[in-house]
Amino acid sequence: MRKRPRETNSENVTVANAMEFQSRFKDLARRWHKETSHLSLASRMASHSAYEQIIEMGWAVVPLLLDELRRKPDHWFIALERITGANPVPAECEGKIEKMAAAWVK
Amino acid sequence: MSGRRRTLKKHLMRLFPRLRAGSFQITSRPTPLYNCIAFAAGVVDEWWEYRRGYTWPNAGRNPSLDEAIELFAGLGFAVCDNDLPETHWEKIAIYGDHAGYTHAARQLESGRWLSKLGKLQDIEHKRLVDLTGGDYGDVKQIMRRRRPVKSVG
Repeated sequence: MRKRPRETNSENVTVANAMEFQSRFKDLARRWHKETSHLSLASRMASHSAYEQIIEMGWAVVPLLLDELRRKPDHWFIALERITGANPVPAECEGKIEKMAAAWVK
Repeated sequence: MSGRRRTLKKHLMRLFPRLRAGSFQITSRPTPLYNCIAFAAGVVDEWWEYRRGYTWPNAGRNPSLDEAIELFAGLGFAVCDNDLPETHWEKIAIYGDHAGYTHAARQLESGRWLSKLGKLQDIEHKRLVDLTGGDYGDVKQIMRRRRPVKSVG
C-alpha cells in the first residue's frame, strides 16, 4: 500500500480552519432555523443576525449554502444573491422553492 | 395524542404564547414550499412574498399592509368588518405590525381558521387572537369573497 504523504503544519492549519468555518456555519444555520422558521416572510428571516453573519462569511460559505440547498430546499436565496450578486432563477420559477433551489445548484 | 405531536404542539405554543393546547390542531408536516399568504389564497406549492424573486401577484412589491390587501383584492376579496363565519362567504384575516404584513389566515366554513406557520406546519385554530401578541403582531384586516358554488352531482 502506498504511504499517504505526510501533512505539513500549514495543511493541518488549513484543515482545522475549514472545519471551524463549517462548524460556525452549522451553528449559525441551526440558530437561524430555530428562531425564524415560524416567520411568514423570507425577508424577515434574512434580517436575523445569524443569517447576516452567514452572509458576512462571504464567498467561502457559498459551497456550504449550495450543499444545504441540495440537501433540502430552503430560503438561502437571499444570502446567495447578496454574496454572489447573481440570480440564476428564471422568472417562471420565482416562488417555486424547489425550482429556485435547482436553479442555484445546477 | 403521540408524544411527538405533543412536543410539536408545545414548540408552537412557545412561539405563539396565546395558543392553547385545546384550541388548535396540527394539520400538516412542516414544509418551506409555501407560506401563509399562498395558503390563504388556496395555493400550496409557492411562496408568496413581496420581495423580488418570489410570487406576488397583482400588488406592489413592498411589505406594507396595503399591498397585502391589494394582493387579496386581486383575488376577488373585499374588505369587511368582522370575522364571523357567514354562509357562502370565504374570509381571510391579515395580520401585521409596525413594519407591514406578517401573516394571513383562512376561515373554514366551521368558523375555525387555517394558518400555515412560516416554514413550519399548517394548523387549524379556534380564534384569530391565538396567533397575536408575538411576531405576527395583531389582526389588521378581514376580507371576504363568495365561496364557489358547489356543484351537485
